Amino acid sequence: MNNTLSIEVGSQIIMLLAALMLVIQLLLVVQQMLLTNVRLFALQSLMLSAIATVVAYYYNATHIYIVAVLTLVGKVIFLPWLLNRIVRRINIVQEIEPLFSAPTSMLICGGLTLLSYLVARPFTTLHKLGNNTLAIAIALLLTGFFLMINRRKAITQVLALLTIENGVMLAAVALTTYGMPLVVELGIFFDVMVAVMVLGILVYRIRETFASMDTGKLDQLKG
Amino acid sequence: MLLTPILLIPLAAALLCSLVPWRRLMEWINILAFAATLALGIRLFPQVLPPHSVVTEWNEFFYADALSAWMVLLISAVSLATSLYAGRYFRRDLAAGAVTTGRVKEFFVLTPIFATGMFLVVLANNLGVMWFALEATALSSVLLVALYNRQTSLEAAWKYVILGSLGLALALFGTVMTYAAAAGGSGSERLPSFNWSHLMTVADKFDPRLIKLAFIFVLVGYGTKAGLAPMHTWLPDAHSEAPSPTSAMLSGVSLKIAIYALLRFHILTTQCLGTGYSRTLLLGFGLFSMFLAAPFILVQSNLKRMLAYSSLEHVGLICAAVGLNTPVTIFGALLHMGYHALTKPVLFFAAGNIHQTFHTLKFRVIGPGVIKVLPVTVLFMGLAAVAAMGLPPFGLFYSELTVLSGGFAAGRTFISFLILAALLAAFCGILKQLTRILLGARKIERANDAKAWDGVPAMGLLVGGLLMFSVWCPASLLQLIHQAAGIIGGKS
Repeated sequence: MNNTLSIEVGSQIIMLLAALMLVIQLLLVVQQMLLTNVRLFALQSLMLSAIATVVAYYYNATHIYIVAVLTLVGKVIFLPWLLNRIVRRINIVQEIEPLFSAPTSMLICGGLTLLSYLVARPFTTLHKLGNNTLAIAIALLLTGFFLMINRRKAITQVLALLTIENGVMLAAVALTTYGMPLVVELGIFFDVMVAVMVLGILVYRIRETFASMDTGKLDQLKG
Repeated sequence: MLLTPILLIPLAAALLCSLVPWRRLMEWINILAFAATLALGIRLFPQVLPPHSVVTEWNEFFYADALSAWMVLLISAVSLATSLYAGRYFRRDLAAGAVTTGRVKEFFVLTPIFATGMFLVVLANNLGVMWFALEATALSSVLLVALYNRQTSLEAAWKYVILGSLGLALALFGTVMTYAAAAGGSGSERLPSFNWSHLMTVADKFDPRLIKLAFIFVLVGYGTKAGLAPMHTWLPDAHSEAPSPTSAMLSGVSLKIAIYALLRFHILTTQCLGTGYSRTLLLGFGLFSMFLAAPFILVQSNLKRMLAYSSLEHVGLICAAVGLNTPVTIFGALLHMGYHALTKPVLFFAAGNIHQTFHTLKFRVIGPGVIKVLPVTVLFMGLAAVAAMGLPPFGLFYSELTVLSGGFAAGRTFISFLILAALLAAFCGILKQLTRILLGARKIERANDAKAWDGVPAMGLLVGGLLMFSVWCPASLLQLIHQAAGIIGGKS
């Protein structure tokens, strides 16, 4: 088997999967049901895990397999389960009530994606695997910020944060051909898990004291 | 072995505190742990004193140079004072029914974890490890901010965790890009290590465009955690809503730890790109923070929010001083970190006493004449406030003067004038606000439960240290700061 050819194929697969991550992100932006949002996030993380597997396979980097498995267990199975449980336990209304309407959000996110391609343009020659992944990672970051602003429910802000994290991890796996050192990847993984748990605790407490999850009500501190 | 125990002792303290049921014992475990780390920090410091000497452990996984050692001293000193203050503070809160015993236990478990995270930030060699240590400090302190479980404290905690996590996600992106820049420049497929000490030796081979982009991400990211304007909006909320011991930790050291992380990247970027780039960005953000803080100090109606804005101003000064990039100003910035770490916790402890006595932090309700009710607290607060305003004989006057004279000597007259103007504005703000409540005759006599001697050991320790180091700073300590400033560099 021709080695350069196979790397070419790997690069194509990664591009495809990364593009799918972006598509899922855009679906998240327009999707109004909370539980569907959680599932979409799980699907996006699955793509990330697949990308890690492809990178690990084509570059024979064993420790990236560990990253792929951790992503699968943590972000595809555990976190969606946890978020699901929180959503069901506090019985919140499913509608998300975004600030901008779906078409407007789509337009804004399209603009943000264009912007990230512009930012990443000087670097497209830089990495061998997945030329456009840096652009997609930045696009995930920016649309994640937009999601954060657009949604007022505490849980959806947590989801936005997690998609941003996915964008950063995409950069970490694809931008650097071998990924970050294992100790760093492990640290990041556990930090994300703990972060979601801390956020979960806060969501419970906010729900208890405010009888609501609308972060728009968190407006007493000013100046 | 010095670095490993510095990390393990507070971690062990946290574990022990989560196991023991007695509150008194938890207080003592905290105090003893931080006293031990302070002692270890003092033992560490002669070892890094000779030029270019470093202490490494576990195959260079932990790495301490003069800059790290200086930060270790600050973290342990502030944590020790905090644990001395926290015991009395929470006993009063429990008596008043403001917190439950479970929450107090949470405090004594989370505070050592918070401190461990900060120690790991300054002792980690790997930039990725440094990142996740910073995230650990953010997560542990979020729960501390939310300790009172009031509506306002939950709001503050939510803003803090969301903004902090966003910032840290950006910083991680910057860290990843730094890694990519280093891997791209190293020629080989795989970077041998992501250790800061290794990166420094190969920094000139980095991809300059990527490192530029990376530094912006890191600056915005860690800058959020450091409270630099305009990413500072979580800072006054979190500082005012947290229990006073936590406010002291947040303001006294946690902000500076984020600055420290930023500085490590600044050194790296400067090594790669030359002096012009990251220095200018730091200077800009620093000056902006100073100018934003001053008017907010003047119009605040809440005591702890005012103190938080004062911290913003000091952080701005530290960044601006590093941004001026002369050896003198960088020396001044590091000195300023130290003196500020001794000053600001005293103000927050005193604010905690005032809060518990008057059950409010609003200037209007506290009213004039606090000195009649809490003479000892006001004495300490007055001394610390005079220091924070930058008046002699306190060290902050000396460090601010060092920064200014360094700026003028380097011919950056305009920038130095701007710094001076912002300092004067903040001076007037603090002076106006605090004289309004501390001095004068009491207008309204209301029932209050003043406890005159609360918090005296903690405040005495810090003010005593501040006075001593202001008047007589040991030559070896000054040399340590010189070494640390030398690591950051700067052209004369």
